[in-house]
Amino acid sequence: MTAARLGYPNLGLGVGLRTVHFHHILEHQPEVDWFEIISENFMDSQGRPRYVLDQIAERYPIVMHGVSLSIGSTDPLDFDYLTRLKRLADDIQPQWISDHLCWTGVLGLNAHDLLPIPLNEQTLQHVVDRIRIVQDFLERPLIVENPSSYITFASSTISEWDFLSQMAEQADCGLLLDVNNVYVSSANHDFDPVEYVDHVPHRRIVQCHLAGHTNCATHLIDTHDNHVIDPVWELFRRVHAATGGVSALLEWDANIPPFPVVHAEVLKARQYFAAKAPLDRNPSARAANNQASPLAPAHAVPHPLHLVSREVQ
Amino acid sequence: MNKSSYNLEREQRWMQAVIMHPDGVAGGVASAEAKCHLDVPLERIEEVVCRSRQLTSRERLSIYHNAYFARLLECLRSVFPSLARAVGNEAFDELGVGYLQRYPSHSYTLDALGANFDRYLQETRPDRDEATGLSETWPDFLIELATLEWAVNEVFDGPGNERQPGWTAESVAATIASCWPDVQIKPSPSLKVFSFRFPVNDYYTSLRQAASDEDLPAIPDPSPTWLALTRRDYIVRRHALTPAQFILLSAITSGESVGQAILRAATVEEGSLEEFSTKLQDWFRRWTAAGFFVAMESEPFVA
Repeated sequence: MTAARLGYPNLGLGVGLRTVHFHHILEHQPEVDWFEIISENFMDSQGRPRYVLDQIAERYPIVMHGVSLSIGSTDPLDFDYLTRLKRLADDIQPQWISDHLCWTGVLGLNAHDLLPIPLNEQTLQHVVDRIRIVQDFLERPLIVENPSSYITFASSTISEWDFLSQMAEQADCGLLLDVNNVYVSSANHDFDPVEYVDHVPHRRIVQCHLAGHTNCATHLIDTHDNHVIDPVWELFRRVHAATGGVSALLEWDANIPPFPVVHAEVLKARQYFAAKAPLDRNPSARAANNQASPLAPAHAVPHPLHLVSREVQ
Repeated sequence: MNKSSYNLEREQRWMQAVIMHPDGVAGGVASAEAKCHLDVPLERIEEVVCRSRQLTSRERLSIYHNAYFARLLECLRSVFPSLARAVGNEAFDELGVGYLQRYPSHSYTLDALGANFDRYLQETRPDRDEATGLSETWPDFLIELATLEWAVNEVFDGPGNERQPGWTAESVAATIASCWPDVQIKPSPSLKVFSFRFPVNDYYTSLRQAASDEDLPAIPDPSPTWLALTRRDYIVRRHALTPAQFILLSAITSGESVGQAILRAATVEEGSLEEFSTKLQDWFRRWTAAGFFVAMESEPFVA
């Protein structure tokens, strides 16, 4: 039987490490359970980002989260990228390495987006084969995240939760369940988010993501620029109860507030841990009418945009 | 579309061609590049991408199209903030869209996205094809500003010497006393020197100091300037140079001995030999303190 969380520890409540918080973290050393880094921001760094990471990794557990593995692409796997990823992992000894169920480009290009794949038997086999290769190369399980998506394909024949379940079992990989992504996609694709979180294999969930999103009235965009809304917290409560507890991390990538605000946001999870009954209305109903999300500014840009800001005098 | 002809590779290449097309989803679907993968007219794209209750297939694909350009333009704007302000947001976005067509990202990291931007400005300068030989000067200024901002980007996260033992003024003095003219100085890996036709460093400074709603300084007239970039304590530092300092540092970074480098610099420095000698000591003292150098080399180093 698969060990809960694939045997990985429950790290508690973590925060995504972002450039604007470097100074605060180094100076105040806040009592954060763990940090997640964007791997690509540090793989080639020979400057301040890597210097800061080395200091933070000495004090806090670190998880490496990537955005460019492109596990669903039909381009060959990029072994130069994987080599650099593994080198960083060897250096900082992360708790685990994660990336997304997506493709980022083909024909050698990178759109720097988490593009969705059609969900069918052919793509399932394709992704499973590639996850196995990556896991062999990295010599550890890959933890795969469900992305937010804005289209579905006519060629899809499998629900996303069934696809994830079969993928995880066949590839023997872990899952990073982003409950905000579940919520966003459920609104965009007219499915029930509760059915989704209830049907993914809970023992393979190693980590959860939490984030805010933007309501564009006709659809939701995963902008990571706001507080987590109540229906997403409620989905998280369900996952927490079903898994017996997993590491949870808050992502805040645009309009980033001061570190204490971000940290306080993820600590809200504690009240959901304690709650035996739902604290909010049924998230399925919320997803259907999108009333809980903040209304959008024009031209909301989906996550990810990850560029380290430069310091110059 | 016939389901039996389904092919993931073709579908991904089609979608990429559509969302990266500068003329929107309609332009992308109609483009030859997209059609060579999936020849689906706009009115039938529901055969590839489903509609939702609220959005058509075209509207849904547009989310990815808009995001592609918005995300990468924002990235370019953050790497070239002064250039973006100098030309204005609208013109910068036009430049950026053109740039992304000619130099789309091939890298796993956004850090490399702007690597060819100054080259692109050179290739597309508005007076490039004029036969008269006379040309506007402002494109040259913008190209040099892009060169400076990209160099700042490279120095910030490129190799440096913060984790190596520093090269001190004492070690310089000791070397001066012994074999100074014959040795080579190994520069910090972060040190870059530039010769510009325009005062781009002053302009860069004035833009950084100006509030976002302040009037921009005018694009300056040509006036040669020289600059060194280096990194100390993980922050990029800019050092204005004189012509003699530029020649001296250029010679040192290209691997010439200190004696050869000084001789080159002396050709452009006015004043007596004694004055020049005093200046040299002052320059090396300041540059050493600023972390320009990491070691003396008795054997030639590869520049």
